Amino acid sequence: MLWYKAWLETRWRFLTGLGLLACSAGAIVFLYPQVTKLVPMASTVDTSGGLGRRIAEATALVRSYRGYIWSQWFSQNMRQLWALFSVLLGTGGLLAQTLGGGALFTLSLPVSRGRLLAVRAATALAELGILAIVPSLLLPLLSPAVGQTYSFADALVHGACMFVAGSTLFSLTFLLSTVFSDVWRPPLIALAFAILMALVREVVGGPSSASLLGIMTAESYFRGDGIPWLGLLGTAAASAAMLYAATLNIARQDF
Amino acid sequence: MADPFIIETADLRKRYDGVDALRGLSLQVPAGSIYGFLGRNGAGKTTTMKVLLGMARPTSGRARVFGLAADEQDASVEIRRRTSFVSDEKDLYNYMTVEAMIRFTAPFFPRWRVDLEQRYLRKFDLPPDRNVKALSRGMRTKLALLLALCRGAELLILDEPTSGLDPAMTEEVLQALVTHVAGEGMTVFFSSHQIVEVEQIADHVAIIDRGRAVVTGALDDLRERYRRIQLVFDNEAPAVAFRAPGVERVQRNGRVVTLLSSAGTKQILEEARALNPASVDVVPVTLKEIFLETIAVEN
Repeated sequence: MLWYKAWLETRWRFLTGLGLLACSAGAIVFLYPQVTKLVPMASTVDTSGGLGRRIAEATALVRSYRGYIWSQWFSQNMRQLWALFSVLLGTGGLLAQTLGGGALFTLSLPVSRGRLLAVRAATALAELGILAIVPSLLLPLLSPAVGQTYSFADALVHGACMFVAGSTLFSLTFLLSTVFSDVWRPPLIALAFAILMALVREVVGGPSSASLLGIMTAESYFRGDGIPWLGLLGTAAASAAMLYAATLNIARQDF
Repeated sequence: MADPFIIETADLRKRYDGVDALRGLSLQVPAGSIYGFLGRNGAGKTTTMKVLLGMARPTSGRARVFGLAADEQDASVEIRRRTSFVSDEKDLYNYMTVEAMIRFTAPFFPRWRVDLEQRYLRKFDLPPDRNVKALSRGMRTKLALLLALCRGAELLILDEPTSGLDPAMTEEVLQALVTHVAGEGMTVFFSSHQIVEVEQIADHVAIIDRGRAVVTGALDDLRERYRRIQLVFDNEAPAVAFRAPGVERVQRNGRVVTLLSSAGTKQILEEARALNPASVDVVPVTLKEIFLETIAVEN
């Protein structure tokens, strides 16, 4: 029954996320013909400056359908939306429910706090897995409608990398939700962290396999350098450590 | 032999952010009793219940329920399996319906009483398809009580069960509680600052003030032990300090000296008569008077 409770508490966030991501994936596919018409216009842009270089890079990616999908979907729309919903799904929980949210009722049940947290985390992670995989699988399914093909394997690899690496944002929010009793600070801090990661990548640069966002988008896999196993292992370990810390933190709390 | 006490605390202390919520609370709740836990707001009643249920950890001291240590995780789960709890806020899930709340709770308790569930749904007139969020305070209390009473628990812990209810609803809830307890033979530990309702249903009482129990015992025993002794003098009452044990409070007002005794009334009377008062009256006291006097002494 704890699973049912966790589902009821997260279902609207999950379903909203699923709807938005699915619509976004569909839009990306169906906009491809229009985007290809714009590509010749990009050849007139001066590519000497920083911005020009970026436009040239984006144009080069868009010339192939695989490059277009990766740059527009996995690297932008999906990454941003998925990060947002991973943070939203990590928000809430026992501490936030202490004021009229039923926390004392939950704590009066013959269940350990560790189990309460584990069920809540597992439910949200399962939902995040679906948010990462299902909209991505729409790409190979819808691509024939615009005369293109996209590999199921690519969709699965990118979706899985998004899920594994991106779960660190969920775990961070989940951990923060065992520290702060309000529902605002955990997501705001986690989103600030995600934005900071993006800025650091922009400013410092470096290999994609060394940055959280690079691992989330599986840039190395897209560029033919293979799946970023080390990065995935590192982010998974970081997630596990934060979830464990959250369990320890909630175990020592007084309600 | 079964433990005669369902709940036992010894020198229980709890400190929150530099504030002592419990300051050496010692209690013994006999099996099968209806134990009223009286105290002002902030006296430590809720904290005690939270410690007993493993929701808060004691800073020091001992808390045992069914002989199990309340601060040990596995023992605490077992305590909650055998205990029902209704919080002061009647904390439930607003996003569930009455029916969903029951269906959610029942599987956690192997001895869930479906017969009682049906009986209380009818008796309390609870609409199964109504959202918890849409329930009135009274209906919410009834649902919380239904969820507690149907668990087949051996111990019922209620934190201010009638707070916020009108007198009619209060009476209905108390009657349901008394009838249930009489039929099921369980132990009830309930907190209140409503002395009338404690007198109405409790057979044992503890008065707690500033985190310590200042009076404990069987209600009949307390009524028997406590006396108000009034001495009236012909002239100004003498300022004397009574040496006899059991004198809880002495009040001097003009020609009158009033004493509250908790024991040894005979010995106190001997000491009082030695002062040659014009008259001596000994009157029984109510729980309300015991409560007010002991709290006043403590402060």
